[in-house]
Amino acid sequence: MSAPAVTDAQLIARCLVGDDRHAFAELVRRHQSAVRGCLRRLTAGDAALADDLSQETFVLAWRNLKSFRQEARFSTWLYRIATNCWLMHARKRKEELLGDRADAIADDDDMPHLTETTLDHAHAASLKVDLERAMRVLSAPERAAIVQCYHNDLSHEEAAYVLGIPVGTVKTHVLRAKQRLKQAMAAWNPREGTA
Amino acid sequence: MSDERDAIRSGRVAAGDGTAVTTDWLDTVLADDAREHAGDYLADDGFTARVMAALPAPAEIPAWRRPAVAVLWGVAIVGLAFALPGAAVDVAREAFRLFSAKPFSLSEVAAVLALAGLGTWSSAYYAWKRV
Repeated sequence: MSAPAVTDAQLIARCLVGDDRHAFAELVRRHQSAVRGCLRRLTAGDAALADDLSQETFVLAWRNLKSFRQEARFSTWLYRIATNCWLMHARKRKEELLGDRADAIADDDDMPHLTETTLDHAHAASLKVDLERAMRVLSAPERAAIVQCYHNDLSHEEAAYVLGIPVGTVKTHVLRAKQRLKQAMAAWNPREGTA
Repeated sequence: MSDERDAIRSGRVAAGDGTAVTTDWLDTVLADDAREHAGDYLADDGFTARVMAALPAPAEIPAWRRPAVAVLWGVAIVGLAFALPGAAVDVAREAFRLFSAKPFSLSEVAAVLALAGLGTWSSAYYAWKRV
């Protein structure tokens, strides 16, 4: 894909200098898919909630555009705002991410029996469903770390910027998250011989 | 993307002898899932329009405000000048006494005048921008 004729930095400058809303609309168009996708991951597939939080993210971005110092990519800065929006929302709802849902997953009789699956596409679909469910077992910071490092393709340093925590803490969250995911998805472990 | 991340996401890292060995199965699962969604593009479907509608309204500054404030400043300055004629004369007299009593060089007087002018213009510019 060819580079856009007008860069993000130029569009941001237009917003700041001339209060140019058309320029901001172009920025929204460019980044809406990435931000909404990231929030869908964080909200475990809740598209309506993800879109609400995405809208909040862009409104906050507009209000705080002056504070964007170009120290990171604009998309990374947006991820940071989006993650903060989601964390605040999670705190507000006092979402219990660790307790009941983990038990629910373990007790869920409707969980696909992966060993019985022979078709590749069914196998992949089951894995996808399991991964999405297992992600709900994670605490908010753990889930955020996995989403930033794997799905948003950020380095640990970039993830630390997005999450507003030290790099070491990001690594710890990723490690713990993977341990929990492995527990929740034990059936998929090839060494177990069940998947 | 760094080579290390590439390797992790592809589920393989290079062994000492140059052959590829598989990393743990969860890395592969996460990397595959991320790769699968990497190309997903969510259509706008009116999202941008909703965001633009939710932005705070632009601050409307009436066209008459700037000249009105400038006129008010002018009135205030003239008013002060008329209200305090004695003070202005006193300041001028004391300044003259200071200058005449002390042997200032021409360059020093010029520097003081330049500084005073600079200060005045800076204040006026700042006040104008604030309007």
